[in-house]
Amino acid sequence: MNTETLQHPQGAAAGKPHAAETALSVSGLSPRAAHFSRVFELLVVAAIIMLFAGAIHLHVLLLAGDWDMFVDWKDRQYWPLLTPVVMIMFPAALQGIFWTYFRLPIGATVGATCLMLAVSISRPASFMWWTDYPLNLVLPAQMIASAIVLDVILLVFRNALFTAIFGGFAFAFLFYPANYAIFAPFYVPVSHQGMMASMADLIGYVYPRSATPEYIRIIERGTLRTFGDSASWVSALFGGFICIFMHYAWWYLGLAMSSMKFLPNNPKVMALMGTKPDAKPSN
Amino acid sequence: MSTLTSRELNLSSSTDTTSRFTLSYVWFAVAMTVLTGVYVSYRVYQQMYGLSAGLDSTEPIFQDIWMRLFWIQLPVLFGIVALIQVYLFVTRDRNIDAITPEVELKRYFALTMWLGVYTFAFYWIGSFFGEGDGNWHQTVLRDTPITPSHVVLFYACIPLYLMFGIGSFVYAMTRIPAFCKGISLMHVFAVVGPFLILPNLGYNEWGHAYWLTEEIFSHPLHWGFVVLGWNALSLAGVLMQIISRFRELMPIVFKNENA
Repeated sequence: MNTETLQHPQGAAAGKPHAAETALSVSGLSPRAAHFSRVFELLVVAAIIMLFAGAIHLHVLLLAGDWDMFVDWKDRQYWPLLTPVVMIMFPAALQGIFWTYFRLPIGATVGATCLMLAVSISRPASFMWWTDYPLNLVLPAQMIASAIVLDVILLVFRNALFTAIFGGFAFAFLFYPANYAIFAPFYVPVSHQGMMASMADLIGYVYPRSATPEYIRIIERGTLRTFGDSASWVSALFGGFICIFMHYAWWYLGLAMSSMKFLPNNPKVMALMGTKPDAKPSN
Repeated sequence: MSTLTSRELNLSSSTDTTSRFTLSYVWFAVAMTVLTGVYVSYRVYQQMYGLSAGLDSTEPIFQDIWMRLFWIQLPVLFGIVALIQVYLFVTRDRNIDAITPEVELKRYFALTMWLGVYTFAFYWIGSFFGEGDGNWHQTVLRDTPITPSHVVLFYACIPLYLMFGIGSFVYAMTRIPAFCKGISLMHVFAVVGPFLILPNLGYNEWGHAYWLTEEIFSHPLHWGFVVLGWNALSLAGVLMQIISRFRELMPIVFKNENA
């Protein structure tokens, strides 16, 4: 049996059953059954991608909101703290579902990828093409790197508690460095009207948003203590601490929301479909 | 009228049961195509008339372009929502216990397609037009609750996903034995949660009308939408219910075919 390639075997291996045929025979599915099974899987995968692209984006939009939307909100105090705490919720729930029911350590990465897919479409389509915002003002942060680490930790520990402790912490702690290469250029200081500002600040001044004047931005004000280079790590540590608990809670929320429970239906409603009222619901 | 259970019917079925199993994707393809066309058209309409005619609700052009669309789409879309549910109920299976495993499997596929279209519609409101609304309100001051972004986001996208959300629930209850004999708790959450976005709108616009609160998109005024959006997770429960029954039906329907 040739297991070295999924291509049809050639040469010395020709004529022997190849991996795909072997997998079918082990599964006990006929080719037609396998076809319909695959159709079903594609429908489910498509539904999951669309559902969580919409749901996670809505969640991050209205909880992390401006910190993820605008480059001049990506400070060192609130952004590394709030964004990972908000962004870990759905990935943790998806991890719980995928791991418990399928033993697939892909939940967090699925969530992160769905979010990135959604924002990659909506930022240009809305901010750029409708209202002419420059893309470098509305660049989204990415959490795929943190999510991959979270999934790998689940794969290694195979345990919800340890994943929450180590993976949840790592998710937040890695968020800032994972995005640093993208956003570091916007932290470059510039002199603007005799005052020091960052490049991100300057972009925000030039492209005013009528709803949010500059002074309403919830960003670090800074003191001499935070003028040095440790401010972001302190925020990342705190974010990691919160993410441990957030991950644990949302893992079990995901399991609760994927319950397969049926409640008994009203006998009169059942009678409309010709079902016997004393028939027990199937679980 | 036959009242045999599906299991008894399966035992008495002929050996060529598998040859009768077919699937039709026509309605699924039609729904996805029509929805895509509708959403793209709305986006193009926003692009054409958003900034040129949508900035001031007191201008006559705003009434022509946006209020006319608003008053047309409201009865049309909500009317279609109602019609679909009435159609599904009127054409319900009146002897649901007598369906064969093939028919049951087909209906599970159909339910999955309903949920696929529902999630597609949910993507457009949760992500695409949702961020478009945030973008609009950052750019332009809100003068009334009916803005170019709201006309599409709230008064078009919501009825569009209600068609398929409520439709999936009514379809399941009127055609699939497990969903008729019992109420799927997660299906209720998956449908009612997003449905409640509509009344939550009232609260949201009340808050914006009196306290503006445009400054911060993660303002507590918006958190009702967040919590209702969490109900998307419950669709995983519905999919698990479908998958668990799917696993039981596949060997029954295809039992006579060799691997």
